[in-house]
Amino acid sequence: MAVVRRADPVDLAGLRAAEEPRSTTRGRLRRWLPISIGLALAMTMIVVAAAAPLIAPLSPSAQFSDAVLKGPGAIDRHLLGTDEFGRDLLSRIIWGARVSLEVGLVSVAFAFALGVPLGIVAGVIGGRMEMLIMRSSDMLMAFPTLLLALIIVTALGGSLANEMLAIGVALTPNFVRLARSLALTIREQDYILAARALGGGQLRVMARHVFPNALYALVVVATLYIATAIRTEASLSFLGLGIPPPTPSWGNILSEGRQYIKCCPWLTTFSGLAIMAAVLAFNLMGDALRDLLDPRLKGE
Amino acid sequence: MFQYVLRRLLIAVPMLLGAMSIVFVAMRVLPGDPCVAMMGDQATSGALADCTRNLGLDRPLAVQYVDYLWRSVQFDFGKSFRQGYPVSDYIARMFPHTFVLVMASAVVAALVGIPIGIVSALKRRSPLIDYPLRIIALLGLSMPVFWLGILLLIVFSLHLDLFPLIGGGDLDGVIAMIGSGEAFTYPQDFLRAVGDVLHHLTLPALALGFTLAATVSRLSRSAMLEVISQDYIRTARAKGQRERLVVYKHALRNMMVPLLTIIGIFVAIALTGTVLTETVFTRPGLGKMLVDAIGARDYPLAQGAITVFTMIIIVVNLVVDLMYAVVDPRITFR
Repeated sequence: MAVVRRADPVDLAGLRAAEEPRSTTRGRLRRWLPISIGLALAMTMIVVAAAAPLIAPLSPSAQFSDAVLKGPGAIDRHLLGTDEFGRDLLSRIIWGARVSLEVGLVSVAFAFALGVPLGIVAGVIGGRMEMLIMRSSDMLMAFPTLLLALIIVTALGGSLANEMLAIGVALTPNFVRLARSLALTIREQDYILAARALGGGQLRVMARHVFPNALYALVVVATLYIATAIRTEASLSFLGLGIPPPTPSWGNILSEGRQYIKCCPWLTTFSGLAIMAAVLAFNLMGDALRDLLDPRLKGE
Repeated sequence: MFQYVLRRLLIAVPMLLGAMSIVFVAMRVLPGDPCVAMMGDQATSGALADCTRNLGLDRPLAVQYVDYLWRSVQFDFGKSFRQGYPVSDYIARMFPHTFVLVMASAVVAALVGIPIGIVSALKRRSPLIDYPLRIIALLGLSMPVFWLGILLLIVFSLHLDLFPLIGGGDLDGVIAMIGSGEAFTYPQDFLRAVGDVLHHLTLPALALGFTLAATVSRLSRSAMLEVISQDYIRTARAKGQRERLVVYKHALRNMMVPLLTIIGIFVAIALTGTVLTETVFTRPGLGKMLVDAIGARDYPLAQGAITVFTMIIIVVNLVVDLMYAVVDPRITFR
């Protein structure tokens, strides 16, 4: 017993005990606080993006010649200040949320829709099909997400649709890999055997049994990839390869503000803060969801 | 062991080939004529035809493809559209800048990230240690490197005037001094030049290093948690080993094995990070060269940079896999 006590700080029995008190207030807080913060931040972003025309105090493209490069609060009507064309920064950041969220959600949905079926087919059917799908996906995996997105955007040209497509394609191999590894585990289960014994064909097994059982793990990871997509979009816009101005996106506000960091640091500060808050929201949510749903932690 | 190395090498070749094919397809087949991009819409059809012929774009696609692969293997990426110099010369000149940035930020990331990860794992679920450290790591993970870079520039370059705003120092000079032996004959000049390079390197390395440290700390935390739950740790404790020795002697050493695999991911993230970091700090390097090349529609330069990036990542992953086999003897028998 004394030995176990000596190992107290990290012993497994202790960890297991720490996992269990779900009913205690602290346990509940620990479980739900990160996800609540993430969810609150993400919901705020979604509401702001959806209601941009109603919330934004001014038009994002309206230029005020009397208020060029004014700091936050210098003029009452511009809460966060203005940029080099006298445009209201707060309104631009609010409208920028739309771009970030659109790119984040659509590109992940694209990667999900393309990658998951391919991964499940590879995992369930196997053989040459698996070889073909996985080797192609490995080749795309050789590129970091930003680099691959950068290559595609360069080839297609910078626009909202191309950016979504580029980031979606760049994220696809991640979903292929995950869906395949989940399918490999699921296909060995007894209920798959039962489904086959009842005469279920490959397509039915994949669509009705493998996919629903892999879904929650895929959704958790998808949440994390929304964060990656938002960051990649901001990076592309920052490099001048994303949505061309004057459409506001957080990345291009930051990129344009870079020229004025000496006089007007608010331009880069607030747009960067918005990017960080959005990425943090989806990271928090994804992390917390994974902790909640990870079967290994559940088993403990 | 030999068989494993051979098999791993054989897997790397088609991957490299495939990745290079993707670059080729993206640059040549997708819409957009390099000559129109370079000369503008107003160029005469004669000038465009000349340009197409000079660049070899009038040949069949299959011929261009084989030619591109053959030349790439020899590190011949053609000549830059804009400057006319060989792309490989540019890459050779820019590579050391990116290399020192990746190395310096790796040092920052390891010094900050690994201890944070270990402490966080050992004090798991401690509200005063684990949670704050994990929150910091999450913030670091969510903070774009270009924003952190700009914040560092605002504070340390503009307000405190401690570090230069742009540039990378005379790294070429330092390398030349080492090559010519002047580093030893004029040690004072050499040290001054090295100091200048480090002065320019500090902020970029901190910006990239801190964002990478977040990833490293999360990965080392989970590596440590994995190791600490192994049977041999329980055995060490059961025989009455002191906790400190259990951590240093048994856990830390074994944690390094899973941590090794991180290097592959790390290099991929770091190289992507250099594209953004070098742009923010207006530092010469492969990343900035790539962005500039894309901006100027200099296709051979962009293609060369992307191919080199991909080659580095594939080769590093190969080396990591081989190192893994050396460190963990069980793998060699698979």
